Amino acid sequence: MKRQFLPLLLLGLCGAANAQQPAATVIAVPPLTSPDSGNKGNEMLAVGWDVTQAIEADLRQTAEVMPLKPNRDDYYSYPEVTAPTFSKWRSKGAKALVTGFVQSRSDGRLTVGCYVYDLDKGRELARKGFIVGAGDWRRAAHKCSGLAYTAITGAPGMFDTRIAYVAENGSGEARTRRIAIMDSDGRNHRYLTPGDAMVLTPRFSPKASQLAYVSFAGGRPAVRVVDLASGQERPMIASDSISFAPRFSPDGSRIAFSMMLGANSDIYTVDAGGAAPRRLTTAPGVDTDPSFSPDGTKIVFESDRGGSQQLYVMNADGTGQRRISFGGGWYATPQWSPDGQWIAFTRRGQDGRRIGIVKADGTGEQTITSGPGDEGPSWAASSREILFQRSGNDGRTGLYRVALDGSEPRQMTIPQDGSDPDWSGVAE
Amino acid sequence: MMRKTTCILGLLLLGATAADAQLPFLRKRGAQPQQPVLQGIDALRADFAAQAGGTTVYFGAGNSLLGATAKATLGLQAAWLRKHPEVVVRIEGYGDGLDTRDHALAVGARRAEEARAYLVLMGVPPAQLSTTSWGKERPGLGRAVTILVR
Repeated sequence: MKRQFLPLLLLGLCGAANAQQPAATVIAVPPLTSPDSGNKGNEMLAVGWDVTQAIEADLRQTAEVMPLKPNRDDYYSYPEVTAPTFSKWRSKGAKALVTGFVQSRSDGRLTVGCYVYDLDKGRELARKGFIVGAGDWRRAAHKCSGLAYTAITGAPGMFDTRIAYVAENGSGEARTRRIAIMDSDGRNHRYLTPGDAMVLTPRFSPKASQLAYVSFAGGRPAVRVVDLASGQERPMIASDSISFAPRFSPDGSRIAFSMMLGANSDIYTVDAGGAAPRRLTTAPGVDTDPSFSPDGTKIVFESDRGGSQQLYVMNADGTGQRRISFGGGWYATPQWSPDGQWIAFTRRGQDGRRIGIVKADGTGEQTITSGPGDEGPSWAASSREILFQRSGNDGRTGLYRVALDGSEPRQMTIPQDGSDPDWSGVAE
Repeated sequence: MMRKTTCILGLLLLGATAADAQLPFLRKRGAQPQQPVLQGIDALRADFAAQAGGTTVYFGAGNSLLGATAKATLGLQAAWLRKHPEVVVRIEGYGDGLDTRDHALAVGARRAEEARAYLVLMGVPPAQLSTTSWGKERPGLGRAVTILVR
């Protein structure tokens, strides 16, 4: 019964959000409570406060949702979780509310209950329970943030996602590069490669269980695939050709990439296990940076076959190749958005390199960043944000995220310079 | 005058003797017996660079066409390599700094390949030649460098 109401409510809320764009939807985040009592209760309330702050931090990263600062003294009783005082939070200017509870389980783990409400309508939008290990409360917080974000915007939340990039230290010949991985909020930062060989372009598999990247360890650039859980690593294909620009298919079964044959760079696909490589393009010139559509039936790529780098779309078997970029200048590094609506790209003109988006049929082109040293867009799982690298005049390179609504890009905090970011889908 | 010269010679001789006397000692602690290394690939590299008029050929932005100067340099490289069939070289191509990463990688590979193909055309056995690309990832863009590997 409730399920039937949900789409209607969502539509109503989205309509309201659109009408007042670009103002974000204000959401109240009262402290998570607990049904437990005594010492256990206090312990769970403390975890609940940690979760509350993590949810606020998650939602504050977005352009569409603006959390009210939670107040620890705003004691929230357990019955209030399922029956909030709507008028109280409305009077604070909030349109939505997310809260819940933390309950200890007999096996030592935690149940985190998460509830999202539309305050104007006084209705529940979504609820979900997450069972996590006692040390894993942050993941439950990310899941709860995602539930609230999705209920309000209709787009997948990107809080339980990871970012891979190339960490850069030193300068000139002595510059070292390592593949680094972190949670999308910057936590759990770690290095995957030791820095003895140059590395480029890390690309996650759809569930972020594997990573493909380019390594110069063998003397020439070649794609390698690493299993992130076991750390086991192998060459993507058994070949000593130069290979680069890997990108997994949306179902994870294939990898599209570029390979040199003589002076010619073409697009190939190969089974994720390394079998059955298949050549998709034959045009003389540089064809590279393939990216699958989310349904896996099409591939967008860049080619200089017409004299300058432009974007082309083809069927995933290589047929039906056609150019889609006509705005002048050079277009490169296309990536298809997870919702299929847009293709993000780097456009190089007289005044530098900028990030833009265009529809797959070549219409609706928009410029998203001001440049002049921007490159390598990677979509958030929400399809509402883009991560990219920006190089300054001082030679430093950083990672920036920008929302499609035209707001200013925000620099991510990382321990050193960074380039080639890739933003994963939502982890299972 | 005479006396002065003799004096200096004497000092030089003394110095030489002292140096000689220390040599076995140095060898014993001996990081490296240096002479064979100096005469090996480094000497070949120096000879190659001198005879070929350079190890590097340059390209115009955005293309991988060999100009007259590049062809002259590669012609001299080829002549040297034909005389040294035991030497193996790696040609390292570089892209352009303004290009995007993967495009620059492909352009570098293509430049290395064009240089390799020209050396083959000039009579160098393909077995002596290999290629790689640094894209825009290292300093020294817009060129292809021939490096003696062994």
